[in-house]
Amino acid sequence: MNVLKMTRRALLATTAAAGLALGAAPALAQTPPGVLIVGQIAEPKSLDPHTVTAVNDFRILMNMYDGLVRYAPGTLEVAPSLAESWEISEDGTEYTFNLREGVTFHDGSSLDAEAVVFNFERMLNEDHPYYETGPFPLAFFFSSVQTVEALDELTVKFTLNEPYAPFLSNLAYPTGLIVSPAAVMEHGADFGRNPSGTGAFTFGEWRSNEAVVVEGNPDYWDGAPALDAVVFRPITDANTRTAEMLAGGIDLMVEVPPVALSEFQGDSYTVHEQAGPHVWFLILNAKEGPFADVRVRQAANYAINKEAIVNDVLEGTAEVAAGPTPPAFAWAYNPDLEPYPYDPERARELIAEAGAEGAELTFFVTEGGSGMLDPVAMGTAIQADLAAVGFDVTIETYEWNTFLGEVNPGLEGKADMAEMAWMTNDPDTLPFLALRTAAWPDQGGFNSGYYSNPEVDALLEQARVATTQDERAELYKQMQVIVQEDAPWVFVANWKQNAVTSANVENFSLEPSFFLLLDDVVKN
Amino acid sequence: MAGYILKRLISAIPVLLGISIIVFVIMALIPGDPATAILGSYATPENVERLNRDLGLDKGMVQRYFIWLGNMLTGDFGRSFALNRPVIDEVLERFNATLVLAGTSFILCSLVGVAAGVVSASRQYGLADKAITFVVLLGISIPSFFLGMMMILIFAVNLRMFPVSGMWPIYGDRDLAALISHLTLPALALAVVATGVIARLARSAMLEVLRQDFIRTARAKGVHERSVIWRHALRAAMVSIIPVLGIQAGFVLSGAVYIEIVFQWPGVGRMLVDAILKRDILLVQGGVVFVAACYVMFNIAVDVAQTLLDPRIRS
Amino acid sequence: MRAFFALLARNRLALVGLIVMGCVMILALITPILPLADPDVTDTSQRFQRPFTEGALLGTDHLGRDLLSRLLWGTRLSLAVGIAAAVIAATLGAAIGIVAGFYGGRTDNVIMRGVDMLMAFPYILLALAIVAALGPGLMNALIAVAAVNIPFFARNIRGVTVGIANKEFVDAARLSGMGDLRIILTEILPNVIPVIVIAMSTTVGWMILETAGLSFLGLGSQPPKADLGSMLGEARSALITNPHTSVVPGVMILIIVMAVNLLGDGVREALDPRLRSGALTRPMAATLVRRKGPVPEASDDALLALRGLETQFHVKSRIYRAVGGVDLQVRPGECLGLIGESGSGKSVTALSIMGLVASPPGVITGGAVHYKGRDLIGARYEDLRRLRGNEIAYIFQDPLATLHPLYSVGDQLAEAITCHHNVSKAEARARAVNLLKSVRIPNAEDRANSYPHELSGGMRQRVGIAMALANDPEVIIADEPTTALDVTVQAQILSLLDDLRRERGLAIVFITHDFGVVAQLCDRVAVMYAGRIVEEGPTDAILNAPAHPYAARLMACVPELGEGRRELAAIPGLPPAVNDLPDGCAFAPRCDKAQPACRTGEIALARSSDVRRVRCIDPEPIPEEAAG
Repeated sequence: MNVLKMTRRALLATTAAAGLALGAAPALAQTPPGVLIVGQIAEPKSLDPHTVTAVNDFRILMNMYDGLVRYAPGTLEVAPSLAESWEISEDGTEYTFNLREGVTFHDGSSLDAEAVVFNFERMLNEDHPYYETGPFPLAFFFSSVQTVEALDELTVKFTLNEPYAPFLSNLAYPTGLIVSPAAVMEHGADFGRNPSGTGAFTFGEWRSNEAVVVEGNPDYWDGAPALDAVVFRPITDANTRTAEMLAGGIDLMVEVPPVALSEFQGDSYTVHEQAGPHVWFLILNAKEGPFADVRVRQAANYAINKEAIVNDVLEGTAEVAAGPTPPAFAWAYNPDLEPYPYDPERARELIAEAGAEGAELTFFVTEGGSGMLDPVAMGTAIQADLAAVGFDVTIETYEWNTFLGEVNPGLEGKADMAEMAWMTNDPDTLPFLALRTAAWPDQGGFNSGYYSNPEVDALLEQARVATTQDERAELYKQMQVIVQEDAPWVFVANWKQNAVTSANVENFSLEPSFFLLLDDVVKN
Repeated sequence: MAGYILKRLISAIPVLLGISIIVFVIMALIPGDPATAILGSYATPENVERLNRDLGLDKGMVQRYFIWLGNMLTGDFGRSFALNRPVIDEVLERFNATLVLAGTSFILCSLVGVAAGVVSASRQYGLADKAITFVVLLGISIPSFFLGMMMILIFAVNLRMFPVSGMWPIYGDRDLAALISHLTLPALALAVVATGVIARLARSAMLEVLRQDFIRTARAKGVHERSVIWRHALRAAMVSIIPVLGIQAGFVLSGAVYIEIVFQWPGVGRMLVDAILKRDILLVQGGVVFVAACYVMFNIAVDVAQTLLDPRIRS
Repeated sequence: MRAFFALLARNRLALVGLIVMGCVMILALITPILPLADPDVTDTSQRFQRPFTEGALLGTDHLGRDLLSRLLWGTRLSLAVGIAAAVIAATLGAAIGIVAGFYGGRTDNVIMRGVDMLMAFPYILLALAIVAALGPGLMNALIAVAAVNIPFFARNIRGVTVGIANKEFVDAARLSGMGDLRIILTEILPNVIPVIVIAMSTTVGWMILETAGLSFLGLGSQPPKADLGSMLGEARSALITNPHTSVVPGVMILIIVMAVNLLGDGVREALDPRLRSGALTRPMAATLVRRKGPVPEASDDALLALRGLETQFHVKSRIYRAVGGVDLQVRPGECLGLIGESGSGKSVTALSIMGLVASPPGVITGGAVHYKGRDLIGARYEDLRRLRGNEIAYIFQDPLATLHPLYSVGDQLAEAITCHHNVSKAEARARAVNLLKSVRIPNAEDRANSYPHELSGGMRQRVGIAMALANDPEVIIADEPTTALDVTVQAQILSLLDDLRRERGLAIVFITHDFGVVAQLCDRVAVMYAGRIVEEGPTDAILNAPAHPYAARLMACVPELGEGRRELAAIPGLPPAVNDLPDGCAFAPRCDKAQPACRTGEIALARSSDVRRVRCIDPEPIPEEAAG
């Protein structure tokens, strides 16, 4: 009898709870004006800019910290930031920066030359007392730096061991952001959870797996931001992120899956697009198998319907790539380059010439990964296109980290082709690391397809030590023509980064650097 | 009783040790390493080697195992590579979230499952029985992740009755109402399969018991039918239902992985999947050992509960 | 095997499962020869076509591939993997379980600890880790799913094997010098196989779900091939914009797993002997009543009177006439003995009075039971319940089974009181202890806290009697209460009942197959055969001079009265099956006096003297002094 009463009571309680839930529901999805909720793709690893590598983390960090230099809005040109000006020595090995006066970190300590020295010493000098707060995986960006000195309170000099043209650009990268030495000393390895910079937003709180909250810095040297606060929500699943955006749980969503774009066509949303320094390509194994023949490599470039991939699979979120350098590097890009057209007939001819009809190919595909867009769908489409010209392609998919572990050591003996994508901050980075003979995997590079052309090698070496941008641009343009002809890769797509904002978000735009800058954004 | 519990606890030690070895070996066998994962595109062999050295992964396997085990016995689970925080902090926080989700689901599926089974059995071949049997069959046949996806589509995106994801509102009070509104969909999606399994089992256990002579005795005494079912029969049926509840608790805990992914619940299952993908070795090892230890404890608790329920085992 | 399929087919739901599964299987098998679009040919300009568009019945996916074709090919893969995983897991798990169960001791201990370890591992993570270590691919997903399910089978099979390994036939095989392997293969395995099949049938669906789950996480089949799980995983990013690409594979998984589960239930039902007999039906709160004829009126002043009571068991299409029109009455303070062979319907008669015949399959199809002039058959449940245990109480045979094993006897006694009287717990408890005292249980206060299994058989039976007495009933129906007890205890119980009858003036219906007991306790006796009363009258008269040949034969088997325990001795031939009663006298086939007239027409229970009645056209002559 009692049991029954209990059950009835339990039933009542459940009903009440359900009612409560329903009643509480309409209250959700209301975020106050002035607070921007950003749907991130993952929980940040750390808020210490020197210890992280992911674009996702950069999106938060760029709003909390400043570097000595930054990219001018809407470009990839270096512009002053914490350094008001700089001089480069004739031989290109000495960089002297004049720091902005009166800038303080969020913790109250002031930004001076010593602070800058501390930042780079911490990353580069294994004997530095705070080197242990690492590891600093991208410290090699500055591996050419020999010494960093404070000439006076507001002057810093970097001495490089050889001319290194991408140095300034690397300084504008998040790895070059300046952190507060006082905060590092106070928190040690936990600085990443107690960050302090000079940026437009100060650290509010970090609720693990829920949100990172940053608050507007009223004393920002570049003018206080319009927003009171920004909440970065990690939502790893793209589908859930889309659902949250549609349900009003977030105001700004980055990396919108192509298939979801059509959901955001109405007036309640704005879709933003911005091409960036990204290239998506297939590494072809030039050392062995059918792709050792340049004609077969070219045939692959003709056989794949890149238009269909960017317009249909990627719903127009990318453009067809013509060569190894993305157009976003406007000064270094060769505008005369035409992409390989989609021409299966030509492909068949070339294959026949090379005697590679019906070749069996192994194709490494990843399931996802930084800049990889929609790798499985793209890989499948590519497989179908290659099958149409008579190749028998077997796909092997790997989760991203295993994939890198398979691809980076070289494709020899394992595969004929592999997907890859790079997002870089300088036109030097990708070709230097992935197209030179000296960058074959056994020499510590990423030239996993064993492409080798002494001409290209020479052009890239020259560009690196060239001191003027025009000189470099010319060298890169020559390199692009040769590489396109040699076809060590299938050049597939240049991604246009996208984001969706809800109707009450204004003044938002994406940067070609792929960073997310929120200083000017307004939320009503 | 105390002796029995102690004995069970001691026998759990080799199991946990074995689990620590299994998880350690598996993580060692998985290709790729945390340095590659952290460096991403920049994982040159040189960079990888340096980072692995910095992370203390250059030592031999056996040595690493004993260092890890020794540290763990002193309560130090190490630091997560990918999250840059102590493993134990992350695990506890995440386990707490999983406990809320899986616990609610478990309570839900136990109560609803047993109740459905009892009703179904006591109305055998009646309309209620048929309806319940059908719903239960649907429940055990639907992939929980598919169900979760559909729930989000219908109840969160289209009807906006519940939030899409997460455990707490980003803004507003973190009160019970907020938690319930976030918990409702994932807990339901997670509970469905286990409810089905439990309901089926409870039904057949009840049918088994209802044929027993002591039920006829209860009826002959004039005990009201409700009491016959819910007191006499259910109590006896619980003896065979409880071990299944224990097993289902394990399934709910495991099944939580999918639901945590679909609903972005900050639970330990999703943490472990992420950690495996990121090769966050210490986090995987610490997390698995922790979860397994809790599961082992829970099983001991189930056995103890059964012993308490059944005087025949007790004596 | 044919019987197995026949049984399977009898379960309608399983049949549905079988048909659906068969269709899916056939479709999967003939997929390669169906005129379908190539599942791997992409046409991105035709992507996300809705279902029922021209040329694509179920629409197209994110690469413009035909969903119907992919669905069928995917189903093929999913089925193959699910079934293969189940077979692998079952084979390896069974092997491990048999070895552990058969050898026992240390082997068992080590293996089972290993199994414990694997089971303590969250299985998805284990599968995930295995796939991560082996690399992705459907084959590796299959291995992972099979591997994580091995412990489940191992544990199940071990339990069964332990039971079998200790059986005599295994010992015999061992003594005859058979090797271990041979014993396992010839003695153990055949007995374990049904369990394996049952476990498999219940897990195939689960395996398909699990494989789909791994594929969903992107660890299963390699593109462009897709099983149902990876179709769902691939479609997921388009869930909101193009739900049909998710719904199609999702529903297919649902259909397959449902069919597998239905079929699994059927297989279990066909293989499990208990389920097969249809024994797993629940008795209702009161026996079903479907009286066809007119309801007899209450006739005389008896306290309890049965009039033409008919109770049948309806099992599938067969009808067992367990009670075929019984008339009995008992007056206050009187003890009526009801005697007969096993299966004569005496217990069913007794249980019918209060609607306690298990139903289904029991149905009361006719007659009436008048208690104090009110008809109990067809009384409302609540009225019936109020009388149960309160005015008419039962004492059952075998109190170990009839007492609730998980409640203390004190609680069970107290409950008997509280469900009829509004008394406090303490009061009920005190009364319970008094009841235990009244049936002469020593240390009643302590004993009240005992559980049935802690008491001896005699003690338990006393508890059963105490429970019947709890509410001071008018009638006690005792159904072979002493059969399970040894002679001395039996005598004590009988004298206890006799005392109570005299002290409290209650009426007793005493069911037994033991004439000795009847002689000791009963005023009158009724002899039952094949569901009918064949003779009735005062105990002495009938025992001394039975009129019905059957009663006479029964008597003949009993050497002398008053010499302790006497069982009914065998009578040549068997009692007739009550679903196939002969015309006329049911005893005729076994009766040496049978004549043609015995085999036709209804033979009435005729008055053979003032107090005796007999159902025979040629009864034994009754001497004057035995006429009652």
